[in-house]
Formats: sequence, structure tokens, C-alpha cells
Amino acid sequence: MRDATLKYVLVAPAVVIVMATAVWPLFESFRLSLYAGRLSRPDFPQAFIGMENYTWAFLEEPAFWNSVWVTVWFTVVTVVLTTVLALSFALLLAPGGKFRSGVQSLLILPFAMSPALIGVSFRFMFNPEFGLFDAVFGVLMPGVAAVSWLSDPTLAFWVVVMADVWGWIPFLTLVLIGGLASIPRETIEAAQVDGAAGWRVFKDVTLPQLVPVLAVVVILKAIFSLKTFDLVFMLTNGGPGTATQTLSHYVYFNGFKYSNLGYSSAVAWLMVIPMIFLTYAYARFVFDTRKS
Amino acid sequence: MSMLTGRTRKRFFQCLQITLILIFMAIMLVPIAWIGLAAFKQHVDVYQLKLLFTPTLENFRTVFEAPYFLGEKLKNSTIVASVTVLFAIPVATCAAYAFSRFRLRGQSALLVMILATQFVPAVVIVLPFFVMFRDLGLLDTLTGLVLVNLAIVMPFAIWMIKGFIDGIPVETEEAALVDGSSRLQVIRNIVLPMAAPGLVTAGIFCFIIAWNEFLFALILTSKKAVTLPIGLALFKAEEGDLWNLLAAAGIIIMVPMFVLALIIRKHFVQGMTMGAVR
Repeated sequence: MRDATLKYVLVAPAVVIVMATAVWPLFESFRLSLYAGRLSRPDFPQAFIGMENYTWAFLEEPAFWNSVWVTVWFTVVTVVLTTVLALSFALLLAPGGKFRSGVQSLLILPFAMSPALIGVSFRFMFNPEFGLFDAVFGVLMPGVAAVSWLSDPTLAFWVVVMADVWGWIPFLTLVLIGGLASIPRETIEAAQVDGAAGWRVFKDVTLPQLVPVLAVVVILKAIFSLKTFDLVFMLTNGGPGTATQTLSHYVYFNGFKYSNLGYSSAVAWLMVIPMIFLTYAYARFVFDTRKS
Repeated sequence: MSMLTGRTRKRFFQCLQITLILIFMAIMLVPIAWIGLAAFKQHVDVYQLKLLFTPTLENFRTVFEAPYFLGEKLKNSTIVASVTVLFAIPVATCAAYAFSRFRLRGQSALLVMILATQFVPAVVIVLPFFVMFRDLGLLDTLTGLVLVNLAIVMPFAIWMIKGFIDGIPVETEEAALVDGSSRLQVIRNIVLPMAAPGLVTAGIFCFIIAWNEFLFALILTSKKAVTLPIGLALFKAEEGDLWNLLAAAGIIIMVPMFVLALIIRKHFVQGMTMGAVR
């Protein structure tokens, strides 16, 4: 077979699989979002109703706006916290040496833990009667001992944030260590020879060169924060009430608990829109890094 | 600070850094260790903050017995993750080779599309699959789970393997082609052996992702095809969560993944960022 034909033959199966498993559902769920689709009834999907599911979400559903708010706020807080903390740890661990590289390889462990399991683990630790966190806080601040962390709307939200940040720091730290390692040492040494202090070297030399990697970290974390489901499902199941109900959880709830598949497809599609922008930004960085 | 000499100051900062690293590590490892300890505790000890207790392996036996039957979920998870990887890696390798060595029409668009599918929220993908599987009778089957798992695994596999093949010099291939080997022979005899470590890495990476996959299994399975992460929901009783059993199940889920993650740790960042960071 000639290369000109062969190259398309080689790519075809992969493209077909990606089309069938990821691209088709994307379009199909858009089609579903235009229907009144009650799964529980046998004549599913019932009637074509155009954009009505979307207008219903926007105009008639305070719960939708609540989950938008929870998701956006959750994304902003987790992106900022994880990026700042991961950058600090990356700077601490970047110099290398036996001790620091040992610590670096341990950082892989939390990644292997699924978000669902992290949810379980944090629910266990925040139990008001026998949770580890509660015991620690009880010693540090006796006032907050035996607080029901997960039954208070505000506290529950912050516990979810804590669990998410905990789960993402190790990975993003490793990414940033990689980014720091790719900065030419000469630029930093030159600044040090010129007598610049540690903080100045970081701000004027290291940080500007780290911007592309930081951008990747921020975009990637934002994408995964917007999608958050497993952790919320296992840790709070959206509660108390709807205090920690992210959009993914809201879609799940409407689609599979209330079996309103048309409406939940519409909300799911509203989630795709910010993803398109973030993915576009991410793809630009990937291709830029590859070219240079 | 100006009172201190340069050397004392340097040592002070070094000690401070080590302390901060140790605190950081403690924060990272304590939640894992806490679950680990609970798995070896008896039911009564879980409800106390004791560090000293008589360890027991009882929990690990209980989770495999009625009514939990974790062994079945373990089997399902292993089958789903393995079959997904065995499908994904060969297909991804062919595509990655073509993307790496040839110019295709619409190549950038295709690569971006493949990358983009990884960012589509899983809830969006699962809705139409639920309807389709219901009509085809694929709900609660391992076949169905493998199909949807391919959706999340393929983009990673293609991008990762492409990265590895990009790193193999083309000269040997060109020499073999000049000597009269066909392209397929070149792929089989030269590229595959050289890319083998990369393929194993990508395979392990995808295995971990499929193993930990949660949302698809939650929605598309109910009884027969339930996987380990969903099995965690079993350990709820009327009096609340059975933490010692949950912890034991957690250990069974995470320890194999810890081992696999340590094997591929060098390529892990590259894989997760699809080559945006190396």
C-alpha cells in the first residue's frame, strides 16, 4: 500500500472511535435538548419544543442559577488556591537533591486516588464525632469542636474546596516543577550575579518565563473544576440542600433522578459553551509549545 | 535580618524550607494514611481516634463476602479497564504513527478535535449513551462500559503515543525503507520495539483512568456490571457508613493504582497535559 493511502487507513479507526464515542454524543445530546424528553414514559422523546428547555432553565429554575453560581465560585476559588499553593510547593521542591526528588515521587500517590475515593476519605475525616479534622481543630480551636462540617452550607462548600485542592495540588506541583526545570539556569544566575535579591529574581526573571506553563495549569484546572462531579457526589451529594450542587451534579439529578432527559441535556449543553473557549485557549498553548 | 551573617541566614532559610516541605508532605499523606489505618481497624475502633489498636484483616475478608461481594466488582473493574486499554492502545498507536510521520489533510483540526473531546463534560456524553444503551440492551453490561470508557481514554492515548513516536529519530526508518522494507514492516520491526516502553506507559496511564472512572459506571450500571468505585456505595447501613469496610474497599481500589502510578511517574505530567508541559 502506498503511504498516501496508508496514512489515512492508519488514522481511520481512531477517528471513527473518537467520532462515535465523543463527537456523536455531543451532537446527539444537543438534539435531545430540543425535545420534551421524559425518560420514564415509553414514548421518549416526546415532543419537539425548540429552545424551550433552555428558556426554562434561564427563566423558571432558581436551582439552575444556584448550580451555576456554585460552579463558578467553586472554579474561581479552586483555581486560585491550587495554582498559588502548587506554585509555592514547586518552588520549594524544584532545587532537587535526594530529599526533594524523593518527595516528588511521593506526589504521584494522590493522583492515583480517584476523586470519588477522595470524597469518601474527606467525608470520613470531617465526621463531627470521630473525624480526624474535627479532632485537630478541636485541639487548636476548642470553639469549633464537634461542628457538623457537612451539614452547614458554607462549611460544606469549603470542605469540598479543600478536598478538591488537596487532590489537585500534587499533579499541578509536578507540572510546575517541570516548567521551572525548563527555564534556562543562566537567566537566573545572571540576575543573581547582578545582585538581585531572591524575591526580585523570582518576580522579574522566573515568573515571566513561567507564564506559558502557568497558563496551562490555570486552564486545565478550570476545565476540570467546571466538570466536578465525582467528588461532590461522594462527599456531599450536592447538599446540604443544594449548597454544593455543581452543574454536573444538577444535570445528573435532573436527568436520572427526575428522568427529565431533555431538560438535563439542555443544561449539559450550556456547560459545553465555556469549555469551547477554554479548550481553544488550551489547544493554542499546546501547539505553541510544540512549535518552539 | 541584617544582623545575621550570610551563612546563618542561608541555614535558617534551608531549615525553614525543609520544615515547610515536611508540613506539606504531612498534609498530602495524612488523608491517605488515615484511610489506610481505618482499613485495619475493628468496627469499634473506627469510632475512636486511637492510633494504637489491634490491627485486623477481618475487614478485607468481610468485603468479599455476602452481601457485598467486592470480588465481583474487582473482576468487572479489571475486565473493563483491561479491555479498554487493549482496544485503545493498538488503535491509538496506528493513528499516532500517522500523525507523527505524515502530513494529513486537516491534521491540526483532527488533533485539536481529539484533544477537545477530553474536555467535554462526562455528563454530556453519558446522556445519549444512556438512551442508546437502553434501546440496545447494553445497560448494565461490561461491553457498554468499555465503549464509553474509550471516549475518555482515546484522546490521552493518541496524544501520549504521538509524543513518544515524535521522539524516535526517523533516520533508521528511512534507511530501512531505502533497503526495500515496506512501511508496515518498518512499523512492526523498527517503530514498535522502540516505542514499546512508551506504549506500556500510555497503557498504564489509560488503565488508571478507566479503573477510576466513576460517572459512566454510576449511570450505566446497576447490578451485574458494577465497578469498584461504584461499589463503595454498598457500605452504607441504616446506622450510617461502615467506615472500616469502606476503607478496606478503598485500599483495594487505590493500592494497585499507586503501584502503577509509581511505575510511570516520569511520563505522568506529559501524559496528563497532552504534551503541553514536558
